[in-house]
Amino acid sequence: MAAATDAPTTAVPPVRPNDPVVWVRRNLFASWPSALATLILAPAVVVAVVRGVRFLFVDARWEIVRVNLALYLVGPFPRDQIGRLWVALAVLAVALGAGAGAIAATARETAEAAGRPIRSGWGERVRRAGPPVLLVLGILAFASGFEPVLLTAGALALGGGAAAVTQRLTRRGRRFVPTLTVLGIVASLAIISRFGGVPATNWGGLLITMFYTIGALLLAFPIGILFALGRRSTLPVVRWGCTAYVEFFRGSPLITLLFVGWLILPFFLPPDFPTPGLVTRALIIFVFFTSAYVAEIVRGGLQAVGRGQREAAQALGLTPWKQTRLVILPQALRAVIPGLVGQAISLFKDTTLVLIIGQSDLLAVARSVTKQDEFLGKGYIVESLAFVAIVYWVISYWMSRESQRLEARLGVGTR
Amino acid sequence: MDTQHGQDELIGKRLVPGGTGEVMIELRGVEKWFDDFQALTGVDLVVGRQETVVIAGPSGSGKSTLIRCINRLEQHDRGRIVVDGIELTDDLKDIQEIRRETGMVFQSFNLFPHLTILDNITLAPRHVRRKAKKEAEEQAMQLLERVRIPEQARKYPGQLSGGQQQRAAIARSLAMEPKVMLFDEPTSALDPEMIKEVLDTMEELAESGMTMMCVTHEMGFARHVADRVVFMSDGGIVEVDDPETIFSNPREERTKLFLSQIL
Repeated sequence: MAAATDAPTTAVPPVRPNDPVVWVRRNLFASWPSALATLILAPAVVVAVVRGVRFLFVDARWEIVRVNLALYLVGPFPRDQIGRLWVALAVLAVALGAGAGAIAATARETAEAAGRPIRSGWGERVRRAGPPVLLVLGILAFASGFEPVLLTAGALALGGGAAAVTQRLTRRGRRFVPTLTVLGIVASLAIISRFGGVPATNWGGLLITMFYTIGALLLAFPIGILFALGRRSTLPVVRWGCTAYVEFFRGSPLITLLFVGWLILPFFLPPDFPTPGLVTRALIIFVFFTSAYVAEIVRGGLQAVGRGQREAAQALGLTPWKQTRLVILPQALRAVIPGLVGQAISLFKDTTLVLIIGQSDLLAVARSVTKQDEFLGKGYIVESLAFVAIVYWVISYWMSRESQRLEARLGVGTR
Repeated sequence: MDTQHGQDELIGKRLVPGGTGEVMIELRGVEKWFDDFQALTGVDLVVGRQETVVIAGPSGSGKSTLIRCINRLEQHDRGRIVVDGIELTDDLKDIQEIRRETGMVFQSFNLFPHLTILDNITLAPRHVRRKAKKEAEEQAMQLLERVRIPEQARKYPGQLSGGQQQRAAIARSLAMEPKVMLFDEPTSALDPEMIKEVLDTMEELAESGMTMMCVTHEMGFARHVADRVVFMSDGGIVEVDDPETIFSNPREERTKLFLSQIL
């Protein structure tokens, strides 16, 4: 009778049997509808996976990628200038590695202080490194000779090294990292295009895709934040101006805006006004478009921060700008990381629209290479698009995975 | 005539500062409207240096609105508010000056969830008073000792109990070394077992000579700690007296009714 109260074993958590039969019954055949769905979907999944794997490793004629790898990666970029790209890649690796290291260190410290120290087992590390490693290996598999492999490995090592260094910096030391990262990105662009280099109109493939994506994100995020703050301004003129900007660019199809930037804008500029180059115009359009969306996402985050936070900051005597910068914005931005990353992924894929202004981005290359004599009319479009789809998917998936990690570490959703 | 005399005495109790006798906060004819609703109907009150005033009254009587006007979380529409010789005007400089001198503790704590307790406390001293980080942190640790939660310094607000959070919020306000502390129902969001730890902290603060205005329903605190109790109803002050008189021998019917309902 008293057994239940004085038995010490009650302090042990109940053991959940790890029986595969139980698992299958619980997850696949829990009810009649679920059993039916399993019976219909399971064969479909098996067929799809088998076919997919057979296509990737047996059937696919990857020679179209092997022959044209340089086109996929850099498009019409002059081949005698490729050396610049490797140097730029190394600089970019250092810049991005340093930035990633600093973010990781901040996230780790935040999580530790919050009492949720991060378990970073080997499984976790392998899962994290999986997508980018697969991507690099997948691309290098089509490369000819050892040179690209060695150079890529070198760039990756530099990036990893930079990350290792900034991870070990103190909070004070890390303050300079964002500036360094931006400078590095600008420098790598200069290495490619300045000093007798190649103008952006001659870039293509993955290079131009990444250029538009990274460039537009770097500019659109701060601009978007400013417009989000502007829409909540107490000055009506500022508020209306920001609202008009956001609603205009959010309400216009991107493709229309690109056309306007390409064809119509130069008409309206004065004759002797230095019209920006085609690529710059496209970049500006991407920035306008993306910053409008970023503004709306951030505005949502700002509204999610309780009124009491502003009042507490006011009561402490912080100036209005410091209330926003130190109290409101940090909370708002953390709350909208998923939305911001979604917008980044969306922009990454939207850059394929530069096709219509005549630029050979990754997707455009994928279509044009099938028109080469040796591949024409033999259905190589399947392999070509498959390769490009995998590249897009891996990069998008990687961004989304990393953002989920960042959310967990910054404690989004916990109070 | 007797009534007239009583009326004068009543007004007098509102305008004679307690504490050291020096005037710290002066409210004259303060009115506040929310659209068509008049939340404050001309409030006169003078609070002395080192005095503790408890404001009681039914909900909706304007207690919170009154103290929120003092640091301009609400803007009063008519009347004068003077804090330590500075009149509260639309001039941003005056507002900032008064906010620097005035600490406020909220019902829902309003700690900054993205900052550790230590960073919550050092934020304003560093960014408003321009203190060095090290100095601000030393001061913060002393304050955390004072409210008895030094071991929580490196944690985030979400990891603390309600009582601990409210004491951290008090420490955060004190870090600005305010001359006045405003408490807006500081224990109303707390579980019963945590109310006492916050009230004890407030009592120690009152004993240390802080000028305090507290909106609270804790009548035990009002009886033991307050120098004067202000009873408000329908946006105006009904009665002001020392706690002994107001609890055992209230003058006004409305005060009697309110006290009979909550005691």
